[in-house]
Amino acid sequence: MNEELAKEIIDNFSNTGVSYTSKYRMYIQTPKEELFRLLEYLKDNGFNYLVMITCVDWIDENEFELVYQVGNFNTPLRIIIQVRIPRNDPTYKSIIPIFKNATDYEREIHELFGIVFEGNPRLIPLFLDNWQRFHPFKKDFDSREYVKNTFDSIPTLEEYK
Amino acid sequence: MITRELELYHGPQHLGMVGNFSITLSVEGDTIVEAKANPGYLHRGFEKLMEYRSWTQNLTLPCRINVVEPDSMEMIYMMGVESLARIEVPERAQYIRTIVLELSRLASHLFGAWAYANMLGFDTVAQWAMAYRDFVLDLFEELTGGRVYHIYMCPGGVRRDLPDGFEEKVMNFIKTLADHVPDFDAALFENKLFYKRAKGIGQISRQEAIELGATGQVLRATGMAYDIRKVEPYAAYDKVKFEVPTREDGDAYSRLWVIHDEMIQSAHIIMQCIENLPKGKVYERTPNPFKWKIPKGETYVRIESSRGELGAYVVSNGGKNPYRIFFRTPSFTHGIPILEKLLKGANISDVGNIMISLYVVPPEIDR
Repeated sequence: MNEELAKEIIDNFSNTGVSYTSKYRMYIQTPKEELFRLLEYLKDNGFNYLVMITCVDWIDENEFELVYQVGNFNTPLRIIIQVRIPRNDPTYKSIIPIFKNATDYEREIHELFGIVFEGNPRLIPLFLDNWQRFHPFKKDFDSREYVKNTFDSIPTLEEYK
Repeated sequence: MITRELELYHGPQHLGMVGNFSITLSVEGDTIVEAKANPGYLHRGFEKLMEYRSWTQNLTLPCRINVVEPDSMEMIYMMGVESLARIEVPERAQYIRTIVLELSRLASHLFGAWAYANMLGFDTVAQWAMAYRDFVLDLFEELTGGRVYHIYMCPGGVRRDLPDGFEEKVMNFIKTLADHVPDFDAALFENKLFYKRAKGIGQISRQEAIELGATGQVLRATGMAYDIRKVEPYAAYDKVKFEVPTREDGDAYSRLWVIHDEMIQSAHIIMQCIENLPKGKVYERTPNPFKWKIPKGETYVRIESSRGELGAYVVSNGGKNPYRIFFRTPSFTHGIPILEKLLKGANISDVGNIMISLYVVPPEIDR
């Protein structure tokens, strides 16, 4: 089944690559225009369960990689779809119309990486309160530097006296 | 009488709330019109922190993500590292890991039983469950030196072999617990009050559960026998026999019964592992931790934790530190979309009931 599915995906979607790291993991690299059609296609083929969405910041290539994973309850095969979007224009479309539970994953990525998902009605803060300055999970945010600058300036007990 | 909507803050400082978590409720009288989960009280940024540390230094971090069940978090990180670095784990270590994971599942389920019984007012049962969890912690203390955080697993196996007479102590514990199961059943699970309080509460259909991303006993309580230990076996789960307990109704009552049955299956797995424990070494040597580089690549590994599918997406760029780690935790979907869905239309007095029956652990949501 896996080989047939892989072949059909390569035939039907342009510029899409399929690879395996193990027998139960299929990795698909696809351009950002094809993702929605691909997700709908997979959903029709039984992959009706969104497992996770996450983001990897490839700062050297100036790109964000969004990682979508879908599963199927009849087979152990998991399909992981990697989509690259430019780092200086971090906007993308929300996949809520296809998978309802994407809302909070997209909300998390919006907060931590600053990617705006158009069509997501709920891009409000999730974990961080009063934090509008920068997106902490981006590679150019140095949390050690931030801690040093923020907390070293707090006077010690001796200085208070 | 005029009814109007009120905004009500439930947690983090609230008697009916387990852990550091809050829900903003819009209520009309006693009925919840809308619920908004508000996590973030325990956000420590572990995923970012791990990018600053080497693969070996990170061994001590993942277990701190989930306080209730640290061993699953350890296991998922080790599996990610082993999968990327292509390390084979010796068979004896696989069996020991299975024993540790199942003991940890027992401890976690007993903790869950404590929380649920306590919330319903079954204080005696709650204290029993907590006392038995303490016996598990005693076993962990002897095995690993730590009661809560164990850091017992390492890439390529476990840190050291079982101490002398440990198998016997585990068997004794399981026997004591098994002798006590009828008491638990009589006092809680077969109690009419429990039935009246839990039946029909927080009911979710299988279709909705799948749409909203449920796993673990939330899904198994809707009649779906899906267990990663069976579907994609890891550790020594392909060498032991066990059943996947299910219930049909998808409510709090079904979920608690699934947890009850799972504890019995855990005990069976531990006994089989101890009986068939192979001989041999318990860890594979890994390179010098200061120079250890892991080949470029990415992997997704998953296990069945006591709450559902726990996964880790690990990316390496060939360096000494992980490039990115993402933990897919079951409480994230159970605690935000499913909790919000189930609270809509429920009574205020059922908030704790629904949340604990979903088995939500806030530190796992925040990470």
